[in-house]
Amino acid sequence: MADALIKTVDLKKHFKVKGGLLHAVDGVNLEIPRGKTLGVVGESGCGKSTLGRTIIRLLEATSGSVYFDGQDVMKARGKEFEELRKQMQIIFQDPFSCLNPRMPVYKLIGEPLEIHHVYKNSVDMNKRIVQLMDTVGLARRFINSYPHEMDGGRRQRVGIARALALNPKFIVCDEPVSALDVSIQAQILNLLMDLQDDMGLTYMFITHDLLVVRHIADEIAVMYLGQCIERAPAKQLFKEPLHPYTKALLSAIPIPDLSQRKKPVMLQGEVSDPINPKPGCRFARRCNYCTEKCTQQDYPLKEVSPGHFVACELYK
Amino acid sequence: MEQKMNKTTEINTPILEVDNLYVHYQSEGQKIKAVNGVSLSLGRRETIGLVGETGAGKTTTALAIMQLLPEATAHIDSGDIRYEGESLLKKSSGELRAIRGALISMIFQDPMTALNPIKTVGDQIKESLEIHNYDHKSNAELEKRVDELLELVGIKAARRGEYPHQFSGGMKQRVLIAVALACQPQVLIADEPTTALDVTIQAQVLALIENLKEQLGTSVIMITHDLGIVAQTCDKVAVMYAGEIIEDGSVEEIFNGKERHPYTIGLFNSIPKLDDESTRLSPIDGLMPDPANLPEGCPFSPRCHQCMDICRKVHPDVTYHEGTHRIKCHLFAGGEK
Repeated sequence: MADALIKTVDLKKHFKVKGGLLHAVDGVNLEIPRGKTLGVVGESGCGKSTLGRTIIRLLEATSGSVYFDGQDVMKARGKEFEELRKQMQIIFQDPFSCLNPRMPVYKLIGEPLEIHHVYKNSVDMNKRIVQLMDTVGLARRFINSYPHEMDGGRRQRVGIARALALNPKFIVCDEPVSALDVSIQAQILNLLMDLQDDMGLTYMFITHDLLVVRHIADEIAVMYLGQCIERAPAKQLFKEPLHPYTKALLSAIPIPDLSQRKKPVMLQGEVSDPINPKPGCRFARRCNYCTEKCTQQDYPLKEVSPGHFVACELYK
Repeated sequence: MEQKMNKTTEINTPILEVDNLYVHYQSEGQKIKAVNGVSLSLGRRETIGLVGETGAGKTTTALAIMQLLPEATAHIDSGDIRYEGESLLKKSSGELRAIRGALISMIFQDPMTALNPIKTVGDQIKESLEIHNYDHKSNAELEKRVDELLELVGIKAARRGEYPHQFSGGMKQRVLIAVALACQPQVLIADEPTTALDVTIQAQVLALIENLKEQLGTSVIMITHDLGIVAQTCDKVAVMYAGEIIEDGSVEEIFNGKERHPYTIGLFNSIPKLDDESTRLSPIDGLMPDPANLPEGCPFSPRCHQCMDICRKVHPDVTYHEGTHRIKCHLFAGGEK
């Protein structure tokens, strides 16, 4: 892809824990084209949130690199890094715990503006705060409200306004609608898509909800135990999933349609331990197609059809 | 064929009935109307899906059936709950203890908080067996039953001596299911049993509940906001809004019926479809009304696209009735839309 805004090269993030090294992100290569959305899916503990946070350097990577518009994020220092931070923002999952309960809305939205000394006088800043509230569809009467006085949907709008305050180019959306009711979820998804169209934003959309990711993402990366095991354009992935894990994941979605009542592909057991993982395919222990070969070597992503990458012995 | 006939006749005699139930909570001088005239009828071996958003009154209805509403704040104003024809509201607390956990039991929403952190999972399962040990089984027999239950939910019996924190979320949920099933209840109330779980684990848990239904003939009330789960597991559906059932019927009638309540339409339009190519969802505008201050007339009227004058003034009764499909909406009054 010629115009990738975000590019990661063999990105790794390991945590020291009792009993060894937890390989949260273990060699991820991906690209996100400008103005597009990459959906990242996987079960809890697969490292999708850690990946998002490592890309915007909320966590320091163990090794590997991240490029933002060609610039090496890991090497940025001082003023340079401060500028970079403005370009890359994050929306968190739980709109309650990520907002300071003692700050009213105008302070919450104004906080990033203050930290980066964007405005010299408070009149301009207040104008910008009101403008941001309008952008995210938050009625002006909430300007003095505290988080506990608002419902989940409105709190998430505050979270989005905070992320937008510094005019970023790239936003990591970490399960932004998982904590919301379906009708509110749809409102927020529409808002995020409108903002992308209006401002040309690039998203990395982390979620475990596969129907949501199919709806919002251009391309989807499937993660399993710190590794990206399949990547394809969204519609293509749903039409023709290749990796046995992706197949099981997709078949487990309960479809709201009576004509599609079915027995899902059952996976045995749960995600294995990400501490000191053994070499070979991480999914091998739960895989119905596992052969001896699978546990002997690592499988890098391989392009099997244009834009469709998979890491599996079956598609070598 | 004969067996199938039997099954249908069994379904036709309800094991649990909720009849025009009203519950309110008293909080800081405010009267919060949580459940406003809910009626449900659950047949044997039947799964009924109770669908709705946060604050619709789903869990309050479930807690009322279990007779576990907080005594200090909750009040059942009127209505009745009958188990095999007998009113649960008239039972003494001793009689209720014999029913709860043994005949009717509940899987609570959050496996992280519903288990006791300082008791082993084996002991927590055994607890309900001990309480309901009416035929005086020996301790060894109870222990054996605990092992069976753990294996039933797919956990190795050898792990019975471990504590909740040693299990993952999906396994904790399965321990809770084992607790709920310990005494082979006739009615299982599952309050969002899979909300905290990943899809592959969710599929395991739903398959487990389905198996138990087949093996033990349990009836299930499945509380969920996920229409996908409803489509995959339920026989009947009741859609709740602001403490009322605004639409109910068989799962076919709700998913494929001729007519739908505007709120149900909104719910369906809020979820992305697998084969849908459009880029925008059409969600319901606004929010669920404050249960302390419900609007006059239809509770959905402030958010309804098809709201008419009458909707703001008069509370709608069931206006659409076809088969078992019932809708409370003025649009269908007079038999035309």
